Amino acid sequence: MANQIKGKTKITIDYTRCGDGVDVDPRECRACLKVCKPAVFLLHETLGAVEENPYDPKKWRITALWLDLCTRCMKCVESCPAGAVAVTWKE
Amino acid sequence: MCDLCMKHGAGGKWYLNAEHYSNQIVEKYNLRDFLMEQYKNFEQISVRKVHGFNAVGMGYKLRIPIIGRIVKHTAEKMLHSTNPPTNPFKAEGHIGQVIPLEDAIAILETCAVEPIIEKNCMCRYMARGEKEACCINFGVMSEIIDKLPRFIPEKDKYFLTRKQAVERFREHNRKGYIGTIWFGPYPYINNLCSCANPECAGLRPRLDYGIKSIYKAEYIVHYHEDECNGCGACVKFCQFGAIELDRVRKKITINLDKCFGCGLCRHACKQNALHMAPRDETPGFEKDY
Repeated sequence: MANQIKGKTKITIDYTRCGDGVDVDPRECRACLKVCKPAVFLLHETLGAVEENPYDPKKWRITALWLDLCTRCMKCVESCPAGAVAVTWKE
Repeated sequence: MCDLCMKHGAGGKWYLNAEHYSNQIVEKYNLRDFLMEQYKNFEQISVRKVHGFNAVGMGYKLRIPIIGRIVKHTAEKMLHSTNPPTNPFKAEGHIGQVIPLEDAIAILETCAVEPIIEKNCMCRYMARGEKEACCINFGVMSEIIDKLPRFIPEKDKYFLTRKQAVERFREHNRKGYIGTIWFGPYPYINNLCSCANPECAGLRPRLDYGIKSIYKAEYIVHYHEDECNGCGACVKFCQFGAIELDRVRKKITINLDKCFGCGLCRHACKQNALHMAPRDETPGFEKDY
């Protein structure tokens, strides 16, 4: 079972810097996906998008999915070239 | 025999029952449209709300007293469902089992319905953005994947003969990828995966949250201690953390509770100290699936 870290972790991704909010394709960069040891992030199409144009960067984004497995190592924050990831938590 | 075998195995292992692979099931439940819709939107499924819940921060929801138990129960009920599949955005009737190399070969040689294809793994793509061709699919899946370019391998071969499929699976298995077979959706078997932890979306609920999304294999490891020279090569191969190395005694210890019976540790052992034995003949672990 998952090792439980005290408190709740919150990971926010600023979609005005990465993903469908701007023309930054998260599939090209995926720096946060690569560095995350427990694979907390999910790369997905925005809800309702279908693959009519599979290369449309506006239709893809990254969501932090398995928040409780985050070890708070902050590597995603350091690795993001757009500075779009923020990790906060309450003790 | 696991629960699935008792119900669907026709006297043996459920995944060696050829009925579950037949194209008739596809026609009966109109699975062409269902699977098309499901795979078109595959990456979205975890963030899409079902009964007001999605998987975002699910670990925290599971920790809430009572509500956590309801969420777990609901998830298991959905995964184990044997009702005709209705909603392609839910992982309905999507239950699997770990299998060792031998059983996977038996499936590929006798049960799998042609055409056999190898597509990019969705889980590795969702979790890491990597396209790696290691999911072997059968039957109607080729019609569906044909229309979804992101799943079609660029470098590797797409259509496989039975022999090539066995070779590819053997390659993945020796590399240390866990063999798994899935209903998707029940009662149709179309996916033979080579999974990795923590990327695999099917192993994650079981390993991190204790939700039975996948059963342990029909086998369990048996260890001949006299043969072990304590090299520790198997420790890295076990993705379930069942093997530990005792550096002083120069022997390994195996936690059988954690053994899923994937048989990967055997590939690492040059001393031939690790063997697979039927789980239901291993005292204490007969019902541990």
